[in-house]
Amino acid sequence: MLELENEIFLEMVHNIQETYGYVPEREINQLAEKFDQPRAKIYGAIKFYSMFYTEPTGKYVIRICDSLSCHLNDSHDLLLAVENFLGLKNGETSPDQLFTLEVVECLGHCGEGPVMMVNDKMYTELSKGRALEILKECQ
Amino acid sequence: MIKLTIDNTPVEVEKGTTLLEAARQVHINIPTLCYEENLSIYGGCRLCVVEVNERRQLMPACATEAEDGMEVKTHSPRVREVRQTLFELIIASHDISCELNCLTCTRQASCELRNVAEDIGINRMRLNPIYRGLDKDLSSYSVVREPNKCITCDRCIRKCEEVQGIGIFANSDRGPETTVTTFQDKGMGNVECTNCGQCIISCPTGALHEVYHMDSVWDALYNEEKHVIVQTAPAVRVAIAEPFGAEPGTVATGQLVAALRRLGFDGIFDTNFTADLTIMEEGTEVVERVSNNEHLPVLTSCSPGWIKFIEHFYPEHLKNLSTAKSPQQMFGALAKTYYAETMGVDLEDLVVVSIMPCTAKKFESKRPEMADDVDYVLTTREAAMMIKAAGINICDLEPEEYDNLMGVSTGAADIFGTSGGVMEAALRSAYYLITGEELEEIDIKPVRGLEGLKKAEVPINEDLTLKVGVAHGLSNAKKMMEMIADGEEFHFVEFMACPGGCIGGGGQPISAELTSTETLQRRMDGIYSIDSSKKLRQSHENPMVQKLYEEYLGKPGSHKAHKLLHTEYTPRGLS
Amino acid sequence: MVKERKFLKGPRLRDVSTYEFPGLKKALSLGPDRIIQQISDARLLGRGGAGFPTGTKWDLALQQQGERKYMICNADEGEPGTFKDRYLLEERPLKVLEGLMIGAYAVGATQGYIYIRGEYSEPIKIVREILEDAREEGILGEDIFGSGFDFDIKLVRGAGAYVCGDETSLINSIEGKRGISRIKPPYPIQEGLYGHPTVVNNVESLACAAEIIKQGAGEFAALGTDNSRGTKLISLSGDINISEVFEIEFGSCTLSEIIENLGGGVRRGRDPKFVIPGGLSTAALLPEELDCTYTYEGIESAGSSLGSGAIIVVGESRDLVDILLKVSRFYMDETCGTCFPCREGNKQINYMLSQHRNKKFSGQEVELIEDIGEVIAAAARCGLGQTSLSLINSIFNKFPEELIEEVIHVD
Repeated sequence: MLELENEIFLEMVHNIQETYGYVPEREINQLAEKFDQPRAKIYGAIKFYSMFYTEPTGKYVIRICDSLSCHLNDSHDLLLAVENFLGLKNGETSPDQLFTLEVVECLGHCGEGPVMMVNDKMYTELSKGRALEILKECQ
Repeated sequence: MIKLTIDNTPVEVEKGTTLLEAARQVHINIPTLCYEENLSIYGGCRLCVVEVNERRQLMPACATEAEDGMEVKTHSPRVREVRQTLFELIIASHDISCELNCLTCTRQASCELRNVAEDIGINRMRLNPIYRGLDKDLSSYSVVREPNKCITCDRCIRKCEEVQGIGIFANSDRGPETTVTTFQDKGMGNVECTNCGQCIISCPTGALHEVYHMDSVWDALYNEEKHVIVQTAPAVRVAIAEPFGAEPGTVATGQLVAALRRLGFDGIFDTNFTADLTIMEEGTEVVERVSNNEHLPVLTSCSPGWIKFIEHFYPEHLKNLSTAKSPQQMFGALAKTYYAETMGVDLEDLVVVSIMPCTAKKFESKRPEMADDVDYVLTTREAAMMIKAAGINICDLEPEEYDNLMGVSTGAADIFGTSGGVMEAALRSAYYLITGEELEEIDIKPVRGLEGLKKAEVPINEDLTLKVGVAHGLSNAKKMMEMIADGEEFHFVEFMACPGGCIGGGGQPISAELTSTETLQRRMDGIYSIDSSKKLRQSHENPMVQKLYEEYLGKPGSHKAHKLLHTEYTPRGLS
Repeated sequence: MVKERKFLKGPRLRDVSTYEFPGLKKALSLGPDRIIQQISDARLLGRGGAGFPTGTKWDLALQQQGERKYMICNADEGEPGTFKDRYLLEERPLKVLEGLMIGAYAVGATQGYIYIRGEYSEPIKIVREILEDAREEGILGEDIFGSGFDFDIKLVRGAGAYVCGDETSLINSIEGKRGISRIKPPYPIQEGLYGHPTVVNNVESLACAAEIIKQGAGEFAALGTDNSRGTKLISLSGDINISEVFEIEFGSCTLSEIIENLGGGVRRGRDPKFVIPGGLSTAALLPEELDCTYTYEGIESAGSSLGSGAIIVVGESRDLVDILLKVSRFYMDETCGTCFPCREGNKQINYMLSQHRNKKFSGQEVELIEDIGEVIAAAARCGLGQTSLSLINSIFNKFPEELIEEVIHVD
């Protein structure tokens, strides 16, 4: 659909999200105009990708992998500890807009589980204690 | 030519033919859900999978081209087994519950899932629906979306984008959360939806239907205080008998009148009457604007789907629109003035109902500038449901006549129901309005038919040859607007939002048996047969319209006519 | 003792200014036909999971007429248990770049793309810097090494959708569409990105290609067996003592040797409950089935497949339904949602599993799961869908007493 080979849609959306923390409505309208596509379609394309947000997220997006390999490294316990600490469930954002928690599929560090990403920083072989320390530093 | 066998039957087809088409050529029916004639291939439902050369991987017949020497099995034991389980999965995704069940479903009698169930002979159901709990979209005046019934076949998405050129729907999210939604989940009423209802026609399940006005109309009919009158649009008469088992195109004008009288309407009138009136007003406007070279081309204004479309996408061209209200709204305006005054009905007690082939008419009636002149709009489907619910089979009734005051019409009004009809009707009278003479040949063939874009040149006198255009279906409307923008010269252009015009309206009965093109052609034939059988075939000949001008409005384009019969438009853009 | 055979692995290689690009230079002197001949002679099979011969793919692309062609490196590694591409992107990215350039030169592509999954922030950073450096050094751009070959590469970050690892989904994704698979034909080689002939190769395949051209097809083909040439990067994880990326020569060892010798044995126990030999799309193998040699054909003869080379070891004490739920949730969440069998089938399977914690499945339920498996395998639209129940079905087959109620016959 996007015959604009110099403009890569995904990169543009990443850049918008880096600027605003999410993809605001007016930016979607502008993308639709730029790519000459119905804006619903642009919206739907953005919503396909779980790393893109069309609503504001927390300042820190916490991603915890609970795929099979990490699960075998007790990622579930890590997840429970983080959920308790933040008072958030998968997909939720804290009222103070500080944290968003995401349970995600594989992050590609299957040999070093359990793992947690804070925005684009990866933490591996995490104990519960270390994870909570990292989160406290964010507060 | 490609030679293959399908279920051991030799078939020869052109290169590029799909297995689905090839099978239909030898009368083998392969069930489908996401496939629809005239839409792009989606390949999602997989119901049409067939076995090719005994390969393990089954191939979707809709998306697989026939190749030389293929041996195709469309109903082998494996295929049938796979199809049955697949259908179980589909039904489990189509939320059936106490609230949502087949008996109360809008598509109770025209459900494609039920047809597929019959076609594949399903005899088991081992899965319960997994409740999704999605909210209904009630934001539109015209169309309701019930996402829990949606099986995500994407036909509405493709219809809106490919046939109507808009694309208000898109898939959102993915995996089990995949849904059909609108921009920012705003709902159909809050985006650039034209309310045309073509998505309803494409929906196989009843996840999309019109906003019902039936209950309100029943209440009005039951209320003895109320004086309830009804108007019936041109395209309704060639489709209303379909839900009663008649062929599309069956003309049932008189039977419709009889049924409505039995339902208890106090006055039964014809939108055709105001269609003739529209021609007088719009025709006069065209003649004036052409002679003054003012905002040309004049664009027609009868189709409310088209109006909303131009308001969203070409707001800079609103000045080109004819200011004439649509026939429905002209009727409403006259009903609440001329009719009420003539009959001495208190406006408090007067209820005006329309029966329209159209869902956009529901929105039109709610436009602030229309001042609730029309209280309720029923689609052809709703009218049929009400007639059935009153124990009436329309096919059994003797034809009756419309009530006189606003029930008389010419053939020119009947053809409003089909693409090219408004243009033809306008040309018949424009010739008369300019030259004072009658056209020799009033059948104007170049503007007829299902061709998406039509053009004609009609010589009026030595100085003037009218250049006219016709577009139906909004993607064709878009093309026409681009042609105009590119400098192609027209005096007058007719636009109808729905493919085929009102006969293909989003409120028309949904035909499970016939493909849409066939249905449209038959309804169109029905419309022209009414026109050709009438004695009066030109709007300016309508005696009751003449009487209306003499007694009430003065002349076409008069101050009073303007006040009652003309309107203005809202630039909307994409806000 | 099993030892690694390092054909791809090696010291960190990220400095463009000091790297000689020996493979690329040699390729530029060989010309397209001889490059493709080398790759074909080496009998390199695509390392992404499907195992299509790389030489054939390049040859088909070379034969395509077209004003422009594209070459894409698929670095959307996302299958749980797989992290070998990340190793190459972090440690040996110049080999990947070189392979991509050799491929582009061979097939006649002038524009390349590296599509890296968005979660790989470190590899993204590394590759971005390398591309900038390469442009600065004139390694990318016009008339590369005076050969007349023009080529540049764009980095595209994915955004959290596993299915984009499917090549047609990936192409849709670069085009800015939802990452759903395309109906084939046309194949990407015929009509790919923006409608032009397009080659999509996995990271490891490209690194292999760079080494094959540098070291010669013979060097590579001498490794491994007839049907499985060369080496393979494996990602070892799960209930195992040493969990990392190893490179082994095909045919040099068995699966159990890999686990014992390279992985240091099963963690907290002697035998695994089962092993997943090639990622979540491959059937589980029981301890007694692990004596198969590590080759495409060896693992196939044991009843599974080599897939992406992700070996996941599951320990004895693990709860099967818990494991099944993880596998099922992955597929349920990651299906693109287009085709009904995959979308609805995986959803129903996940629902059924979630109802069976500490409760066995009845015969009818197992039959239903099998039926759904058959529908998905036979009728789903893409590879992800078709193989999405392979693992789950194999676990039901292999652990009937643990999962399925005993049928009590009443006489």
